[in-house]
Amino acid sequence: QVSVLYFARSAELAGLRCETLSVPQEVTSLQLWEEIVKVHPRLAVIRDQVVFAVRQEYVLLGDQLLVLQPGDEVAIIPPISGG
Amino acid sequence: MEESEDVPKDFIKLKSEKLSVDEVSELVVSPYCGAVSLFIGTTRNSFEGRKVIHLEYEAYTSMAETEIKKICRDVREKWSSVKHIAVHHRLGVVPITEASVIIAVSSPHRAESLEAVMYCINTLKASVPIWKKEIYEDEYSWKENKECFWANSEK
Repeated sequence: QVSVLYFARSAELAGLRCETLSVPQEVTSLQLWEEIVKVHPRLAVIRDQVVFAVRQEYVLLGDQLLVLQPGDEVAIIPPISGG
Repeated sequence: MEESEDVPKDFIKLKSEKLSVDEVSELVVSPYCGAVSLFIGTTRNSFEGRKVIHLEYEAYTSMAETEIKKICRDVREKWSSVKHIAVHHRLGVVPITEASVIIAVSSPHRAESLEAVMYCINTLKASVPIWKKEIYEDEYSWKENKECFWANSEK
């Protein structure tokens, strides 16, 4: 079970900012995205513009294998615009 | 006021109150430094002909602070004479012409602090998880920095 955080456009599409989801412990970043889209289908439109932050490290959506621990933070990161 | 060696410090703050140039520059002033360089990011009132009413900023706060700390660490590796670094970013509603970010760097001589300030703002725009929403009269738009490598560039 991981904490999923939503920001900016992804929070608007998902309709919430934070939730706990059950996901496999070992999963590629793309598979993790697909698990999240199952719960929030409206997120599909931003698939090509987001990255993850897993335990506060950026991860591209792709084949990278993630090993998740209970309570890990996974954040959906749309294109940033700070500064 | 203690006469210590003036240990280099990073001052990082994300806050919703109005930012103060005086406050940020005073944080980095040092008797060992002849230069304080400053960048202020302010909000503009129009984008592509549309009138901007105000901006709203949100952040993944804990990660944003960590990423800014990494930037400070990189600055010290590149410019070892840099003394103090301060990065204050505003969150929430920012009215037009008010500052959304202030960066100040002190160093003994001016070249290092000038270069370090530029590096800080450029890297912040590429890597710190903060988002800006422009509010127009009839709608809004989430902005995307061109420095952000996962944004679609053709739009």
